[in-house]
Amino acid sequence: MKLKMFLTTLLATALAATQVHAAKVRVVATLTDLADLTRNVGGDFVDVRSLATGIEDTHGVPMKPSFVPLLNRADLVVLVGFDCEHAFLPALLDASKNPNIQVGKPGYVDCSKGVTPRDVPKSTDHSEGDVHPYGNPHYMLDPVLAKTAVQNIYAALVATAPEHEADFTKNRDAYLAKLDAKIGEWQAALAPFKGTKFVSYHEHWPYFADRFGLVYAGTIELKPGVDPTPRHIEELVSRMKAEHIPLVVREPQFPEKVPALIAKQSGATLVKLPIMPGGVPDSDTYIAEMDYIVRTVAAALKKQ
Amino acid sequence: MPEAWRLDLRNNMKMKALMGVSSALCLSIPLCGIARAQETNKPADIEQRMKQMQEMFEQREHDMEARFEKKIAAQDAEIETLKKQIGGGTTNLPPAAVAGAPENRAEVPNLIKELNDKVDSVVEAQKKTLPGEFNPAIGVVGETIFSYHSKPSDQTGSSRPGGFDVWQRSVELNVAASVDPFAKGWIVANASADSATGESTFGIEEAALQTTSLPGNLTLTAGRFFGEFGRLAYIHDHELPFVNRPLALDTYIGGESRSDGAQINWLVPVEHYISLTAGVGDQFGGDSPNPNNPGTMRNLGGLNFWGRASTSFDLTDNWQAEAGASGLWNPKTQDRGGVLVQPDNSTLTEKERRLAGLDFKLSYVPLRDNQFNSFTWGTELLFSSDRFLVDPDGSLNPANPTPGLSGDEFKHTVNSLGLYSYVSYKWSRQWSAGFLFDYLQSAQNHNDETFAYSPFITFALSHWNQLRLQYTHTDRSAISGLKPDDAVYLQWQWIIGAHSHGWTQR
Repeated sequence: MKLKMFLTTLLATALAATQVHAAKVRVVATLTDLADLTRNVGGDFVDVRSLATGIEDTHGVPMKPSFVPLLNRADLVVLVGFDCEHAFLPALLDASKNPNIQVGKPGYVDCSKGVTPRDVPKSTDHSEGDVHPYGNPHYMLDPVLAKTAVQNIYAALVATAPEHEADFTKNRDAYLAKLDAKIGEWQAALAPFKGTKFVSYHEHWPYFADRFGLVYAGTIELKPGVDPTPRHIEELVSRMKAEHIPLVVREPQFPEKVPALIAKQSGATLVKLPIMPGGVPDSDTYIAEMDYIVRTVAAALKKQ
Repeated sequence: MPEAWRLDLRNNMKMKALMGVSSALCLSIPLCGIARAQETNKPADIEQRMKQMQEMFEQREHDMEARFEKKIAAQDAEIETLKKQIGGGTTNLPPAAVAGAPENRAEVPNLIKELNDKVDSVVEAQKKTLPGEFNPAIGVVGETIFSYHSKPSDQTGSSRPGGFDVWQRSVELNVAASVDPFAKGWIVANASADSATGESTFGIEEAALQTTSLPGNLTLTAGRFFGEFGRLAYIHDHELPFVNRPLALDTYIGGESRSDGAQINWLVPVEHYISLTAGVGDQFGGDSPNPNNPGTMRNLGGLNFWGRASTSFDLTDNWQAEAGASGLWNPKTQDRGGVLVQPDNSTLTEKERRLAGLDFKLSYVPLRDNQFNSFTWGTELLFSSDRFLVDPDGSLNPANPTPGLSGDEFKHTVNSLGLYSYVSYKWSRQWSAGFLFDYLQSAQNHNDETFAYSPFITFALSHWNQLRLQYTHTDRSAISGLKPDDAVYLQWQWIIGAHSHGWTQR
């Protein structure tokens, strides 16, 4: 009798758990910015998990086996696209054995759809480093292009759970309005520094520079994924001095030593900027991350 | 009048009569219609209907004019707005458009150039396809080994000659692509050039098909592939974290776990990662000197059966542990490896192959800077329990003029152990170093044991170009009489073309 009761309770719990899960769209986002956008659009109707915590390199999220069951059960996988996740996502998708989220399937939500890529290489020869064949994938650092990602996420959620379309539409509109207001603030904050040049460790910032009227002047890396040589550092410092480049950006996942040396030798200010939410303290959401970036850049350039 | 003309005239007359009848019929049809209309409608009705039609036409004409005027007005307004934008006028467009709008006409050529660049950019991106999406992804891995062994190979049992040696161990061609929406396929062909023997070899290491859409979390692989056993047996030589394959894998498995067969993998549908694999194939081990010889007839027992269960635990965000248990069984090896002559001149002939393995890997992969900093401890314990036909007097020795059974033969199981354990630490994107420890009991005599110690250091100039220096001391082997060996290896490895970060290489 006790066994029967136990089994009944177990079955009921399992069924309840299944129903809770079934009520929500299960989304796995590769990076924290996409997870945040999905939460904002999906509201209470989505269960969002992010593979990255925010402090990783966008190309270096570890392939943990614990990600496999998450992806196995996901209704949607939301990704940056433009080959940004090439180092970990294809293998994880392969291991997930979830046919609904494979490339080209409805559950594969490529947020780059509708984004015009920049810096598309003419050649993918390795002499150019670990290049992205579809162009620079770091468009999420341009908040206007992030709106395209929001639209892509919205469309995927509506297609997956059309019964919640009205809620998704309401959430999307509210979030876009909020983002638009912030974009205005960010543009105003960086307007005095229009035309200012800066360099960074990896090529994360061209879209950001374009949006806010700054000029992206080059990388500390020799080529994407290839550490700088002493000659490259020397040439970069000389150029920074000649062109009066006042700012060096270091992304948190790269070592501080070389960027600090370059900043010191060139007389520029070194700042540490996150490349996705959670990369630095108090940047847990996309808007908070962009707030932090704009605030930090403006403060550094003001000092100069 | 000639007869022919008479015929023509008669024909002409018939033709005229026919045409007359036809014309009368054609004329009669509309006339009939009118007559029928006159019978059914009054003239007032017709007039009314024609009036309605005229009104309808006029209304339509008016609507069309109104629509055209509205459209032209809208287009004029749009043109005006665009003119204002180009001229630097104020707009109420969203920030995206404001940010992109030129401030004066002088910027228009720049804008056009920027737009052209963007279009070119899209065109360039569209020219490319994902690896394997349509065209096969093709890559080549090259591996050259420079080495020095302190003693001749006949004294150490090494496969490489003593002294200085250069060996193009592999030139590996990888081709992979989706076969259709349901499967993918890949081929790994390997060529090697051996300066010691002057021989070049070419072989197919893998040529397999794998399903991509089986239900129930299942994946089926068939063809020639590396069967899943342990942690490193199904990884290619050049993907190992050190220069040489551990002794236990070389001895008990036969190098890479190559098999011609089929393997099914099941991802257990629970929230924790558990993977189960089972396979069957005609042999197991790529470098086995003599694979299973089925003779003229192979029964089910002549096949190899293997399986593996593995799981993983996230100890913290940065530390993971992975563990696995594997098994291999070949009920009837059919004299795999032939007659093995022992130092005391007795012989062993393998009749049944049984192998079990436990593997464990502890990884420190810091989330923030794992490209610059990581640590791995990997270890694998193998337990072999082979069943042999023992021939104490060596009458089966193929060197005998008439080898054959002498009646003293008996079956005996030899239990033996082998293990390897390594640590590897990476302290920059380019530099890493580690240490490999090997322990091995001979699968034919567990008292015949040896140890090896291998410190190594790796310099990765880039992701595709790496050098590794390794020193290996292999201890003496008392029973087989092999002498200790000291070897230094310099491995230079490069990759061109497509390369993937596969699940097995994680």
